[in-house]
Amino acid sequence: MNQTELLDQFILEARECLEQVGQRLLDIEKAPTDPELLNDLFRLVHTLKGNCGLFEFKAMERVVHAGEDLLDRVRQGALAYNNDMADALLEAMDYTAQLVDQIERDGKIAASADGRSTQLASALRALLNAPPPAPPIAAAPSSQAAAAPATEPASPCPAWVEALPDQPWRTHPQAVIWRYQPEPECFFKGEDPWLLARQTPGLLHLHVGTQTDWPDLADADCYRCNLSFIGLSDAPLAYVEDHFRCVAEQLEVLPLSRLAPPSGAAQAPTSTAEQAAQRHIQTLRQRALQIWDDQVQLLNRGGARPGTVAAVRRALHQLLQALSDDTASQAQDSMAALPADVSAAALGHWAAAHRPADLASTEDSPPEVTDPGSPWPMPADEALTSPGQDAARRGAGDDPAHHKVLKVGQEKIDRLMDLIGEMVVAKNALPYLAQRAETHFQQRELAREIKAQYAVINRIAEDMQHAIMQVRMMPVGTIFQRFGRLVRDISRKLGKDVQLVIEGEDTEADKNVIESLADPLIHIIRNSLDHGIEMPDVRTRAGKAAQGTIRVSARQESDRVLIEINDDGAGIDPQRIRQKAIERGLIPEDKAQTLSDTEAVQLIFLPGFSTADTISDLSGRGVGMDVVRTAVERINGSVELSSQFGKGTCLRLSLPLSMAVTNVMIIEAAGRRFGVPMDLIVETVRVHTDDIHHFKQARTTVLRGRIVPLQALHDLLALEAPPVMNEDSEYAVLVVRAGHESVGLLVDLFHGSSDIILKPLEGVLAGLTGFAGTALMGDGSVLMVLNPKELL
Amino acid sequence: MGIRYLKKHAALEDIVTVEDAEGLFDWLKQQAKPAVNLSKCVHLHAAVLQVLLMVRPKVVGAVNDPLLSQALAHTQA
Repeated sequence: MNQTELLDQFILEARECLEQVGQRLLDIEKAPTDPELLNDLFRLVHTLKGNCGLFEFKAMERVVHAGEDLLDRVRQGALAYNNDMADALLEAMDYTAQLVDQIERDGKIAASADGRSTQLASALRALLNAPPPAPPIAAAPSSQAAAAPATEPASPCPAWVEALPDQPWRTHPQAVIWRYQPEPECFFKGEDPWLLARQTPGLLHLHVGTQTDWPDLADADCYRCNLSFIGLSDAPLAYVEDHFRCVAEQLEVLPLSRLAPPSGAAQAPTSTAEQAAQRHIQTLRQRALQIWDDQVQLLNRGGARPGTVAAVRRALHQLLQALSDDTASQAQDSMAALPADVSAAALGHWAAAHRPADLASTEDSPPEVTDPGSPWPMPADEALTSPGQDAARRGAGDDPAHHKVLKVGQEKIDRLMDLIGEMVVAKNALPYLAQRAETHFQQRELAREIKAQYAVINRIAEDMQHAIMQVRMMPVGTIFQRFGRLVRDISRKLGKDVQLVIEGEDTEADKNVIESLADPLIHIIRNSLDHGIEMPDVRTRAGKAAQGTIRVSARQESDRVLIEINDDGAGIDPQRIRQKAIERGLIPEDKAQTLSDTEAVQLIFLPGFSTADTISDLSGRGVGMDVVRTAVERINGSVELSSQFGKGTCLRLSLPLSMAVTNVMIIEAAGRRFGVPMDLIVETVRVHTDDIHHFKQARTTVLRGRIVPLQALHDLLALEAPPVMNEDSEYAVLVVRAGHESVGLLVDLFHGSSDIILKPLEGVLAGLTGFAGTALMGDGSVLMVLNPKELL
Repeated sequence: MGIRYLKKHAALEDIVTVEDAEGLFDWLKQQAKPAVNLSKCVHLHAAVLQVLLMVRPKVVGAVNDPLLSQALAHTQA
């Protein structure tokens, strides 16, 4: 995997992480004490931070790290989760999302981001209630365990700590002690506490004891666990907790630094502790130098490709940062001076010249120890802990053994979709070929063979298309997720109390359908929040619960997805709608009064309609529901609105599952062929001239007892020729649905139906009304597909 | 391989699973001078460890796993 792929992967994962983090933050607001949620959130942020560390995105890491520290404290119960915290975290995550966008665009974070990220990070750290010990933490990231308890008052030692030797206070001031008391029935759950305990990351000491005294051997039950493990580990607190996450309630864990050392130990912290620290630093440094030498060897091996050179350069750079003493920073500067496309030999030379000195020479200025945590891989035994339990814990989706998920960029799937579209078109050329073979070359046999082959290719192409469609299916939940945040923010801003209920988020539809839904749905929900749900006091007076409810539900019905947005708010006042529509000059007054209440409510879909008298940042610009309707209709969907004044409003969107393939009926008018989407066609009939009634310019006919207005397609498209009749003086009439009524279109000929890949009009043609788009036919001709709604 | 019950001691070898705990417990209780050999033991399940801690048999041969030997030493002391 090369660097760009890695970066793409990072962006993909970071986005996913951020999305989930946002979701968890909102969930936690509802259940602030749920340890499960907090742990989950912490883990997500932790992953995100770890990922940042792989690259040099300091600005991003700084913010995320601050968030992580805060969450770690919340998780340990040292801080209570509150709204300020949620706001700060959401803001930080928003900013991180912006940074991710920036990284995707430019491949790096602009230097200007530093200021804002420091600001956000310190805002988060301010919430750690203690004054932040060193605000720009990113310069020398300390381990989480060390960062958190900086000003924590020393808590008394629990008695069980005495089981451990008192040395750790001197040699490992950063260590954590833990006690793990497995529950008596743990053996029946397939747990092996001994294995779990001895695999604790960074284990220094392990004491095995009992929870209660051993019973008499005669009545003892060897399958009732009475073991108690007390251990000392120098891994960060979070790692130890993560290791025992499946049995978190059976674990007590404390960082040593937060404990008052037992008598005696406190007086002698200096010399031995310092020596131990020095030893550690020395080891770290030696390791770093080893890596350095390996990298130089790699360069000297010869034939190194530019990618390798770049990777080595990055590795050396990271090493210098990790060493972070005076000489290293000088070396870092000189490294920056090297040209970007430095050759392997030149870099090797430089590396040999600038190899950081051994500790012996720099002993008097001990370098900073860098975080042994995040930038380095997790301890190896992490992966070994009872995989079965892990899988259950993390959900089947993450378990590689059960369910392998391939992450693929959307554009790749789009490309596949385009290709299968071309395939379908190419395949459709075969029947024409068969026809030509038969009529032009008189090769009937060949024509039949071509047709047989066509049938095979057709079947495969259809299956393939179906399979690709399946890949493109996305649960609608992906856009529903954003609503939580939206509702939270807006309802807080408006001072309303609103609960969002989401149902059927697993319902799937094509990616394009889902994506084009996002904006209309956000609009609808905003409307519900702004106009629908009333203020809490108004609601109480009206006899409703003070908390309003917006319910978004999705379900599948045959080949369509239905999405309903219900609110139990004020509903729409038809009288007010009429009045506003007249005021805005959208309909004449006399017509407005003749509308029924249900019809009047539909007026909100008119372009330019708005009931708000003042323009706020939420609504009032008159670009409202008509945008929603246009957006939904563009993807062949429909919107229905029903509202009960005083009770609430319900919007129902009906959308196609997929919009990649459209079934059209081909018709002919004045020698030209046009397509009409099949789902709009009610029927095709032939109407005798005698049955057509003329009234001034308008023509109508009666079909099954209903009056159907007739329009000639020739007139609508301004074609030269008039509609032609057949020899029985009948007109071909295509009855299409336009809104709630049917309209008959006079055409010349019907040509049967065809599956096409509809391409929307682009460029200068995009402004053309009356056409839904174009399609390439099998014989190479272009078919214009009509949009009867716009046409009529 | 589990447990081989010999004349004077039980030899715990390779990986001793949770199923072996009960058999070992019963066997050890019947012995006048219970003894186990852990020198070829790679890992034993916590339940087996618990049996050893409860019965405190004599340990024959060396215990190669430092954590295990520490655990056994502590309770015997």
